Amino acid sequence: MGERGTRFLPEGMEKPASRIDDVPEEKVIRSLLDSFPATVTDFKKLRKGVVRARIERRDLYRCCRFLRDQLGFEHLSMISAVEYDKRFEIVYHISCYGSCLLLELITSTPKDDPSVDSVTSIWGGANWQERESYDLMGIKFNNHPKLERILLPKDILYHPLRKDFKGGG
Amino acid sequence: MWINMGPQHPMTHGLWNLRIKVDGETIVDAEPEVGYLHRGIEKLCENRTYTQIIPIADRLCYGSSLTWSHLYCMTVEDLMGIEVPPRAEYIRVASIEMQRIASHLMWLAAYAADLGAMIGFIYTMRDREVFIDLLQALTGSRITYNFPRFGGVAHDIPPNFERDSLRACDYMEKKLKEYEDLFDGSKVFMMRNQGVGVLRKEDAMNLGVTGPPLRGSGVKYDLRKDMPYSVYPEMDFEPATHPDCDCYARYRVRMDEMYESCRIIRQAVQKMPKGKWRTVAPRNAPTGTGLGRVEDPRGEGMMYVVGDGTDRPYRLKIRSPIFVTVSAAKKMLVGYKVADVVAIMGGLDMCIGEADR
Repeated sequence: MGERGTRFLPEGMEKPASRIDDVPEEKVIRSLLDSFPATVTDFKKLRKGVVRARIERRDLYRCCRFLRDQLGFEHLSMISAVEYDKRFEIVYHISCYGSCLLLELITSTPKDDPSVDSVTSIWGGANWQERESYDLMGIKFNNHPKLERILLPKDILYHPLRKDFKGGG
Repeated sequence: MWINMGPQHPMTHGLWNLRIKVDGETIVDAEPEVGYLHRGIEKLCENRTYTQIIPIADRLCYGSSLTWSHLYCMTVEDLMGIEVPPRAEYIRVASIEMQRIASHLMWLAAYAADLGAMIGFIYTMRDREVFIDLLQALTGSRITYNFPRFGGVAHDIPPNFERDSLRACDYMEKKLKEYEDLFDGSKVFMMRNQGVGVLRKEDAMNLGVTGPPLRGSGVKYDLRKDMPYSVYPEMDFEPATHPDCDCYARYRVRMDEMYESCRIIRQAVQKMPKGKWRTVAPRNAPTGTGLGRVEDPRGEGMMYVVGDGTDRPYRLKIRSPIFVTVSAAKKMLVGYKVADVVAIMGGLDMCIGEADR
């Protein structure tokens, strides 16, 4: 608790306080670049309130922790895994309560080693979404508390959302 | 002892399994299992053209299908860079708010029946017909509408739609007061709701819970206000919140949301400008990504589409609010009695179609 607990305001406050409440997208970009100069690249403001960034996977966990603790991104909306010809991309959509900011954080893994650090210990909501990505796309999330299939039966051997799995009518 | 509640159980409202570990009557551990209704929609979409996916997106949730096809169209419009004419946006907002009321009424019907107020089921299902009829007049069908299109909606509004919508809102507001008397005045209903299934604010935020369960935990987070889409910035409404964090708070939030939806429908049909309701959309999408984010009746719905220049999406990822919310079930269930499971899980408004996809 401690530092995290203080962020919740007493009853009656309009919105949960956040340090990026009235801060434009550039501030997020700048603070991310200052903290992870070597691994964060490719910034783009997609439209108002939506920022895209790429990060190397070795820094993903630290970066996510930084985002939650220092910048107030407390809500992990979605984790999507996308397969490309030579790589997998794992896209994290992270937002924050009470602000219009949405960060699209992309990390990529090579085809022969599709693994990335789990962020379940940062955002509990990531738990099932990571299991889903493992189930359907075969991405391994290191340090995940229970990395098992969730939508498909446990005895299935393939990952159906991969492009080499033919099906889907 | 582990008990399976489901996959076939009156509590589940769909096909899923809740495994609970009990010590006497008290729940000490819980583990929801989903996947029984997995249809592989994300894979299915990769082999369909963009237009063919609109009716598939309808099938994601039988309770609020219009929000999902609307979300899908918003996502593809973002990818293709299509501007939607203002009249279409107003039609969309009016129709998805009607859908929200219909969805909440369906939830209330099931919830009331779960908690022993069978008369609540009859009343709410009767009044849901009012909005289903409006949507039928607008779109031509009752459950799965196939109504939004890229760059607009399929039809203009039918004659007398404004008059009928305003009448329906007046009727609904009167009926909502009646439900409040019926439920808040029922001692059994209140005893099974108040103080049951407490989900603390910190937990709700950390576990990614969205929608009425989050607002019932006192967090004022509504994408219609916080990240407005469509013409919601021009609407005057207030997201409903409740500080109690229990099942009663979730019920209260949904009831208040129905009042707010009536307000939005009134404004949308009255402010609706004249003009086109549909533009021409290209068949092929460019290479790139599109993102859509809406406030579904059940929480935050989100889609992420990757286009590769062809007429079919390369990848379509769907974020289902219930899939994330149900993963927080353990936090709500542990410490309560087996008899409370129905109230707690019923209060989440489970829709397995979208959770399993």
